[in-house]
Order: sequence, then C-alpha cells, then structure tokens
Amino acid sequence: MQTSPSTPDTDLQADNLRRAAIDKSVRGPVLFLFTNGAFWLMLSTLLGVLAAIKLVEPEFLGDCQYITYGRLQPAHINALVYGWGVQAALGVMLWIMARRSGQELKSGKSLLITAGVFWNITITVGILAILMGKSTSIEWLEMPKFVWPVLLICFLCFAWPIARMFGRAFRPEGFMVSTWYILGACFWFPWIFITANVALHCLPGLGALGAGIDAWYIHGVILLFFVPVGIGAAYYFIPKITGQPIASAQLASAGFWTLAILGGWTGMQKYMGGPLPAWMSAIGAATGVLLLIPVGLVGLNHHLTTLGKHSAVAASPTLRFVFFGALFYPVSGLILALNSAFWTGAGLQFTQSWYSFQVVSVYGFFSMCVFGAIYYIVPRLSGCEWLSVRLIRNHFWFSVYGVSTIVIMSLVAGWQQGADLNNPEHWDQTFMNHVVNSRAYVVSRAVAWALISFSNFMFLIHLLLMVAGLGRRSSAPTLLHHEHDDHALPAHA
Amino acid sequence: MSAPAHPDSTDLDRLHAAVKREKEDLAPESQPAPLWATFLLMLIAIIAGSQLGPMTGGWSFDVSNPFALAGGGDPRPGGAGAGAAMDPFQMAMKKGASGYSVCGGCHQGNGGGLPGQFPPLAGSEYVTGGTERLIRIVQHGLTGPITVKGQGFNTPGGMQAFGGAMSSQDLANVLTFVRNSWGNEGTMITKEMVQKVRDEEKRTTQWTDAGLKPFADKNVPGEIPAGPGATAAAAAPPAAK
Repeated sequence: MQTSPSTPDTDLQADNLRRAAIDKSVRGPVLFLFTNGAFWLMLSTLLGVLAAIKLVEPEFLGDCQYITYGRLQPAHINALVYGWGVQAALGVMLWIMARRSGQELKSGKSLLITAGVFWNITITVGILAILMGKSTSIEWLEMPKFVWPVLLICFLCFAWPIARMFGRAFRPEGFMVSTWYILGACFWFPWIFITANVALHCLPGLGALGAGIDAWYIHGVILLFFVPVGIGAAYYFIPKITGQPIASAQLASAGFWTLAILGGWTGMQKYMGGPLPAWMSAIGAATGVLLLIPVGLVGLNHHLTTLGKHSAVAASPTLRFVFFGALFYPVSGLILALNSAFWTGAGLQFTQSWYSFQVVSVYGFFSMCVFGAIYYIVPRLSGCEWLSVRLIRNHFWFSVYGVSTIVIMSLVAGWQQGADLNNPEHWDQTFMNHVVNSRAYVVSRAVAWALISFSNFMFLIHLLLMVAGLGRRSSAPTLLHHEHDDHALPAHA
Repeated sequence: MSAPAHPDSTDLDRLHAAVKREKEDLAPESQPAPLWATFLLMLIAIIAGSQLGPMTGGWSFDVSNPFALAGGGDPRPGGAGAGAAMDPFQMAMKKGASGYSVCGGCHQGNGGGLPGQFPPLAGSEYVTGGTERLIRIVQHGLTGPITVKGQGFNTPGGMQAFGGAMSSQDLANVLTFVRNSWGNEGTMITKEMVQKVRDEEKRTTQWTDAGLKPFADKNVPGEIPAGPGATAAAAAPPAAK
C-alpha cells in the first residue's frame, strides 16, 4: 500500500527487509524495557490508589508503618518516573532512532539487557528502601543516594548506542524533526541527573537552595526528558500514520530550540517569596510562562498537520493515543504557566496543582504518546498483531478519563487550597483543616488512579501476550474502527 | 545490510506484514504559520517578561522578597537591608502622610487651616505641645470655642472623634506626621501611647478646650523609638543574612 509507482519492486523489498532487520536488531532490549516498564506502571498506579486512600483514611489497612501516605506517595511517583517513564522512554528512543537513522543495533545487545536488569534491580531496591523508611525525602529523588550512580551508568549504556546511531546516520532534509528531540533527551537527562544528584548528595550545607535545586530537577526531567520523548514520538508517528507530512519544518525547528533553551531555566519559582534569592524564582516564573512558546509552536504544527485527518484517530490505536497525548501537551504547558506566574502562582504555591502538573506531563502527555508508540512498535518486534480491540479501547478511555479527572481535580483543589491559605479569615485555623477540606478531591484522585490501574492492567496483560508471541497471526493491523479502513483485508481476517 | 536477491515468500509476507504496510517517512513541508500565532506568542513573551523587573529584587543574592524593589530593602522583620527600611519614624511619617488625607479636608493640605473656620495645624501650640492633649482631641473630638495662634475659632459642631474609625497605629502615624510637618517638630507618637490614652479615657462626648486644660503640657509616657527626642538609641539592624 505504500508502493509509489516510481519505486522498483526490488528496492521496495530491500527497504522492507532493511527495516525488518532493524526491528529485529533492537527487539530484545526494546521489548525488555516495555515489559518491565508496564509492570512498574501497574505497580505505580496501584500505589497511587493506595496513597490517595491513605490520605483520606489513614487507618485503611491498619496502621502499619510501611504503607503510610508519606512512604506510599514517593514510592508511587518513583515507580512512575523511573520504573515506567524512563524505561519506556528509552525503549521508544532506541526504536525511533534506529528506524530514523536506518542503523541496526550492531553489538552490545547483551550490555543493554544487562543495564536494563541492573536498572530494574536498583529501582526495586530503591523503592523497597522508601517503603522501609530510608527515603532521602528529596522529591523525585527519594530513593537512597547509592542508587543514582547505578541508574546513571545504566542510562548511559542506552544513550550511547542511540547517540552513535545518530552519528552514523545519513541525515536527509527533515531528518531532524523527531530525531533531535530523541537525541536531546539522551544528553539532557544525564546532565540534569548528575547536576541534581551531585548538588544534593555531595555538596554540604546547601540549605534552602537544595529545595530549589530539587524543584529545578523535577522540571528539568519533565521538560527536557519526558516532554522531548513525547514530542519526538508524536512528530514521528503522526505523519507516519496519517501519511501527511509535518506541516512546517520551520515551526518544528523553532519549537525544538526554544524548548532546548528555556527548559533548563525553570523550577525555582516553586519557592517564590521563599528564602531563595528573588531573581532565581523570578527567572523560573518568567521561563515557566515563556515555555508556552515551544508548547504553542509544537501544538500549532500538529494542528496544521492533522487538520482534516482527524478521522484516522478513530481507526488507528497508535494515532489515537499519540493524538490525545499531544493534546495534553498544551494543557501541561498552561498548568505550568499558571503555577509559575507570580500572579496565579502565589495562590497555587504548595498545593495539589503542582501534582496536577506532574501527572499531566508524565501520564497525560508523555505516557499517552508512549502508549501510542508501543501499540505501533510491538507488532513489528513480536511478529504478531494486537489481540483485542476492546482491550485497547478500554485502555484508552479509562486512561483518558482517569488522567483528566486527576488533572482537573488537582487543579481545582489547588486553587481552593491556595485561596483558603491566603484568606485572612482562615489564618487562625489549623493546617489540618485545610487537609480535611481537600478530602473530596483526594477521593476523586483515588477513584481516578483506580480507573488508570484498571486500564493499565489490561495494557499489561495485552503486552505480555504480545511479547509471548500469542498475538493474532495476521497480516492486517488491529484497528479500532473499520469505517476509515483503507486496507483490502478486514482487520479481523 | 544487503538484501537477499529473492527475499519474497509467503511466510516472509506474513512476518513482515507490519513493515510492509508502513507508510514512508515523509519530509516536512514549509507551510506558513498563521499571523495570529505570532501575536499570541508575543503576548506570552510580554506576560513572561512581567515576571522579571522588580520581582528579581535587583538581581541581588541578598534579596529574597520578590516584591522588594532593588535598594529598598526587605520590609519584613529581619529581612535583608532591614535597618534602613525599618526606621519606625520614617515609616510613621510615610504612612501618616497618606493617613492625613482624612484631616486635610478641613485643616488643608498645607496644615494652614481656614481662617475663621478651621484652625491651623502648622505652628499650632495644640500640635507641638503635650502629646496627651493632642491624642485626646483626635481620639474623642473637640467642640466649643478655642484659640489657636492668637485667633479665635468656634466651628459649629466642632471636630468629630476619629478614635472609633482609626486603629491606634493609624492614629499614631497621622499624629507623628502632623507633629513633624510644615515646620513643626515634635516627638513621635507611638501606637502604645495612643492605646494608653484609649484605655484610660472611654468618654463618648467631645472635649471642650476647658476640659483639656489639665492635659495641656502633659506628654504620654512611653518609649520614643526614633525621630526627634528619641529615648532609645536606634535599634541595631539585625545581622544581615
């Protein structure tokens, strides 16, 4: 179906075989990362449900110290970020870069698997340590400090072949559009990770600045790792599936470079008015708002690209996930701007709206794009097609409703908490009253994480069946909808 | 890799089906961006820029208050540059100047009053004299004939009581301002002094000049933290952070 009349058949065959060979070369590491990531995602969402329940009902499941909110919440976020997020991102990065560069993964497959195994063992130990009460209490870096050099080395084991593929690739015009995001993520994550860990674990006497560095780290990981991988996947898969070229190479270029320049400047506005030099939070606030520019450029580009192609969203699972993931990108940008600007941030500071930003970025935007990528990549690696349309559809809808609920509820809760905290009428109330007042929102958060858990349970089962080679034996893809199916074969032949 | 010459077979067809049905990688186009997008992005840049400016605290490592202008110091107790910003006399003069707008309606902006109607404050013995009488006049009001700077005044209704409407801090600020403007010079009146008078005297009617005679030269006792006749040496600025 992709045959263009001018291409001789043998060239096409060679090209197909070349791509099949590339897929085969990255099969082991990519499937390893996806499968383990899906397990961590499952665990993370369950911990998210449990943490939200414990926040409302601390007596739930008894008063065992290992499952108190203070330990469950960091375990939940760490499992989400390092267990699922980074692993799934590395899998997508490796596959897209291999495909875009036309390079097979020549050697070092066993090294990649080893690094993956070490990554998972380290995260397991780290999260158990959090539950045992050995947390460092540094947000997003709660795992004990011995884990970070191991994680860093494992990450570099993956980043190196990806960067090498880029270096050896023939780079035609337009090559960069999705590739530079992937390449950027390879370099930015180690930079942020090393800087934050060295500063927080090795420099003595940072005082309040440590909190600022931690906030910078969280925003750095989101904006310079998760966001680039999400956008890279969206830029790759949207034209790939719609058959519509990216609308504007210039917008793509501007969007990338503004993100690259601005991404590392934000975060410290979390402590606006706090004991940090004022200019640090002022820069963070200005950048947090300025980041709407790369958001707008990418959003505009995707809008121009998919204009009139929205019907494909109904049919292709990949496009549906990527498309809705890409829709969450402007949402995350807006929430970041609201949290950052002094105007609104003074009300939203230290409230649930910051959780809203983390969830919309890591789950709403990044994970949805990665799910789309996984629905595209895995059939090519496992040699069989996705089994069930219903499982995919449920995964999609429960995820969308769940994450939207968390984001909206956390934002409203944050607005209410901030208004209450800043209201002089409430200044003589105990802080506990504010916690009690936000209970309804936390209940909705528990319900939403339960929906997401359910959706990811189906995703995990589906993925495991695929990896085990138990998918459909067919040459037709699994599509969600047949009306727009332009294939000769029905999907369930 | 080099492709085999005859790779085709039914089995490979199925195995490579996913690869075969893929669409080509397409080079991006160069569609123009709509003009409104440019304006929208400019608007974002303007909003972002407004987060800088005074919010940066003059790019100083010592200023942590985003609302403190460069050089103005941090108005919070113990903040950077607190010594300069916290001088109570200067603060009272500044706040009293804005509080004086209540008084200026009758006594005029220059403190000169209106001949025959409202007595002047500039150079008035009632203002620069004992603090107790001054506080009582403003706190409870004054009616009946009165002689200021040799001129007689008998305003119908007299001067109303301001004690109910103003906090003791506001009242103290305004009185300090009045006692140190238009050539007047007097000790500062503090919140504590006003509060002391309030606690001692609970009358609801206005004073008469005669009723105030006993307080003519009395000063309310109390610390005078700064300004003319300060009793305490200016507090040492807290150690800079």
